[in-house]
Amino acid sequence: MIELRGVSKTVQSGDRALTILHPLDLSVPAGQSLSIVGPSGSGKSTLLGLIAGLDTPSTGRILIGGTDITVLDEDQLARLRGARIGFVFQFFHLIPSLTALENVMVPLEIAGVGDVSATARRLLADVGLTDRGHHYPSQLSGGEQQRVAIARALANDPPILLADEPTGNLDSTNGRHVIELLVDVNRRRGTTLMLVTHDRELAGCTDVTLSMRDGRTERAATPDAALEPAGAAAV
Amino acid sequence: MTFILRMAYRELRASWRRLLFFFCCVAIGVGGIVALRSLVQNVRTALAAEARGLTAGDVYVRTDQPWSDEVRGLIEARAAEVPAVELTETVDTVTMARLPAGIRTKVVEVRGVEPAFPFYGRFTLESGSAYSSALLRDRGALVGRELLPQLGVSVGDEILIGDEAFTIRDAIVTEPGRQLGGFSLGPRVLIARDALAETGLIGFGSRAERQLLLRVPEEAIEPLVRILRDDLQEAFVRVGSYRRTENRIERNFSRAENYLSLIGFVIVILGGIGVWSVTRVFVQQRLRSAAILKCLGATTAGVLAVYVVQVALLGFGGALLGIAVAWGVLAAVPDSLAAQAASTTGFQVVSTSLTPSATLQGLAVGLLVSLLFALVPLLDTRHAKPLLLLRQGEALDVLPRDPVRIAATALVGLGLVAVASWQAASLEVGAWVAGGFIGVAGALHLLGRALVRMTRPLESARWFPLRHAALNLRRPGNQTRVVLLAVGLGSFFIIGVHAVQANLLASFSLELRDDMPDMFLIDVQQDQADGVKGMLRDAGVGGPDGAEAPVLLPVLRARVTAVNGPRTSIEGRRAVRRAGFGREYTVTYRERLEENERIVAGEFWDASPAGSPEVSIEDSLMERGMRLGDTVRFDVLGRAVEARVTSVRAVDWDDSRSGGFMFLFRPGTFDGAPHTYISFLRGPAEPDARGALQRNLVDRYPNVSVIDGLEIIRTFRRVLDYVTLAVSVVGAIALLTGGLILVGSVAMTKFQRLFDAAVFKTLGANTRLIAVMYVFEYGVLGTLAGLVGSIGALALTWALTRQVLDVPWTPAPAINVGGVLVTAVVVLVVGVASSVDVLRRKPLLTLRAE
Repeated sequence: MIELRGVSKTVQSGDRALTILHPLDLSVPAGQSLSIVGPSGSGKSTLLGLIAGLDTPSTGRILIGGTDITVLDEDQLARLRGARIGFVFQFFHLIPSLTALENVMVPLEIAGVGDVSATARRLLADVGLTDRGHHYPSQLSGGEQQRVAIARALANDPPILLADEPTGNLDSTNGRHVIELLVDVNRRRGTTLMLVTHDRELAGCTDVTLSMRDGRTERAATPDAALEPAGAAAV
Repeated sequence: MTFILRMAYRELRASWRRLLFFFCCVAIGVGGIVALRSLVQNVRTALAAEARGLTAGDVYVRTDQPWSDEVRGLIEARAAEVPAVELTETVDTVTMARLPAGIRTKVVEVRGVEPAFPFYGRFTLESGSAYSSALLRDRGALVGRELLPQLGVSVGDEILIGDEAFTIRDAIVTEPGRQLGGFSLGPRVLIARDALAETGLIGFGSRAERQLLLRVPEEAIEPLVRILRDDLQEAFVRVGSYRRTENRIERNFSRAENYLSLIGFVIVILGGIGVWSVTRVFVQQRLRSAAILKCLGATTAGVLAVYVVQVALLGFGGALLGIAVAWGVLAAVPDSLAAQAASTTGFQVVSTSLTPSATLQGLAVGLLVSLLFALVPLLDTRHAKPLLLLRQGEALDVLPRDPVRIAATALVGLGLVAVASWQAASLEVGAWVAGGFIGVAGALHLLGRALVRMTRPLESARWFPLRHAALNLRRPGNQTRVVLLAVGLGSFFIIGVHAVQANLLASFSLELRDDMPDMFLIDVQQDQADGVKGMLRDAGVGGPDGAEAPVLLPVLRARVTAVNGPRTSIEGRRAVRRAGFGREYTVTYRERLEENERIVAGEFWDASPAGSPEVSIEDSLMERGMRLGDTVRFDVLGRAVEARVTSVRAVDWDDSRSGGFMFLFRPGTFDGAPHTYISFLRGPAEPDARGALQRNLVDRYPNVSVIDGLEIIRTFRRVLDYVTLAVSVVGAIALLTGGLILVGSVAMTKFQRLFDAAVFKTLGANTRLIAVMYVFEYGVLGTLAGLVGSIGALALTWALTRQVLDVPWTPAPAINVGGVLVTAVVVLVVGVASSVDVLRRKPLLTLRAE
């Protein structure tokens, strides 16, 4: 369960304050999939970054599985991410000095899990890259790199998977493959999926689509969703 | 922990080539420390093991005056109180050895010994046979083996010492009882003591050192030394034990080891700058990976640990490589050189292996310096925020005033002082060296910034390559600071060393002016003075400075026994010694000042004879408490002479034409007292004529020593050459390290330049244009680095020559300008050569990778 209560983000731009995310309430039940759409600069990635604990909100509280992450320090946030949140980036962000297999092994090793190699191999197999484990990121195509990134994000079997424009850097074939993978993860594992995308096809595959513009939510595009008066969404 | 080690291993696996410079920088410094320390430790071990052999006895009592009955009786009485004591006497003097026929002569150090000599240590003779005092019986002599070729003689031949002929029975390779490091005027000649007495050399006023050696039980050594010192404190003798020799060796070698290690430390510091520069760029390139790790759950400390472990592993590896290099260097020392060193120091075997303590110190210093210099750049990984992963291309800048960073920088400074102090075994020296280094680096850094600022007009140049070359010097993440500091420091050392060397040589050739004396006569007796003068006149020998007649200066040997005056009271031998007047002085008298003297206080006497004795003192004696108007009591050959200080002179010691005397007396003081003469001459230029003059003088007056200044000058030049070579090697290592840092800096910033070049190419720039841009960039950078080094070196040379070496300072423009040019060319060649693949690479490859 992800809960946002009055979360906003204001940054300093020169000598004036710029609000990039206006106060927002949001609840995402466990196991649900949600896409956030909107034009560039509408605050989508900022919202996702706040939920992942990659940034601190200017106001409000964020609860992940009941834990208020806004009071955690950097290291506590890192541990929370390692255990409960998987993240997939638009630019993959694999570690260039590690092979595909080692990239997948890293979160397991950080968590101190045993037999990391077998788990990582199985995850690579799940994303269809059984034979590419020994390749470095520079030796993989964009689609393959993103699949490795998904395998890595799932390594510790997190209950939440966040994805920032996961198909934004891929051609349509690779993009479709990645969409299938993410949807499959959500359905088969019951992982809460929250993604930012421009891809209508990808957005259409999620339970709920949240539109944003100028740092405010506009609407939630599902029959059950209802926008709250203050521009907040309960999904 | 497993994660940290695994990540460190994987990162190293991928980036070891880029970090190779790191490795080499550490290796060079550690290699220097380990090799230098091992060498000195080996020599020290060899010497300390033979400390008794160096003294040849347990206790010694030495004097440069004939033993008085009272002193001799006292020593023998005290010795008799110790059970199982043995006593032997030696006498040392410097004289001329010559052949019964032939013109060759040679200054030698003669030692007369008794059969019991030596109590400890062994002679090594060239024939391989064992030493026995029987070899010295019936006018037998053992000679230093270098004397044989010098005189053209061999074992079995005869040489003349004084008036007596001695048969050479064997050649000495090593001998006990020879003091180390002392200045030697010539090879050793060992004869029986009673035979030496018969040569007539140990006459009045001749320079000879008498020594009584005692063998006593170990437990009696210290009490005997103490009691003899007490008894003899008012006599002109020195009492000591082999332990004193041992301690002195220990002290001297510890000092040598620590100072040499500091040289190694300076090289390590240069390497440390390389480490810092490589780490800085490496961390910049790894910030994204650090952010990814944090995003995957790694803590800040965990990520920092991954990189600290890498640095530690690299530092350790570099140190191991350095140890291997040191081992290789020492193993490559030719046996002939080791043998030469051994014979110089008087010992047969000096090991060239690495010592465990030097090896461990090298490892520790390599590791510590790596970690210290890498620490501050590594701290930047703390600022790798995972949020940055959502913002492609965003600069990963750190806070300008990060308190942790400032604290860490201070910690690193303290760490450097600690390591330097450890290496120098002195907190004070360590603080000075580390502080001096930081000061020099800071000054060069500021100078570099000022020079870079002066290139600003080039940024608006109309020509594209020149404009962009100038812009590149100040672009974000540039290498300018690092290259200027590292290469500037390297060239600073090299240019500085060569300029100092040039100044030393210049001052030395000043000493060798045509009018300078090059031959010295000592121990001319009063009744020989006229004869010697006549011989010199007949040989057409003049005094220095074109003087026609050679001048014989009357000299006496005197010791200060008391100084009294209105504000001075120094009484007794102990007080005199404590005040710094303990040594024996050679004094003279004359009615006028020489050209190298001037009066700085008081009034110099006129030609009239003195009513009461008067003395003029050299001005440095005033620093030790002697004042104008004081009465100084001297012991001149057992006779007490009191003289009033009526003037103070400044003496130009560099001008040796008339010699220099600390005490100059008014004529009349020593009327009737026996004295000897010395003379400073310009000998004949022709070697044969020089040899003939020496030979004739010594034939007629065997007690007179003729010292050939040219030989001393040759020895001095050889020593200067060794010193120059040693300093040049250190400078070359510094330059090599500077070069490595340069290559490292260029290689590490290649990624930035790859991207820039790809963009330029996409926008229409051809390879040639970009190459010209690099030529300008590195040309300007090299010139600036050379200027930094050269200007710094000018200051260093001035300070060293004027303040430390006390020689005249002359700028060496050729060395300074040459240094700038060479540095510029080296930086240009290395920079452009390292960028060749940047020029060749297809732009799309780079842009796609980005």
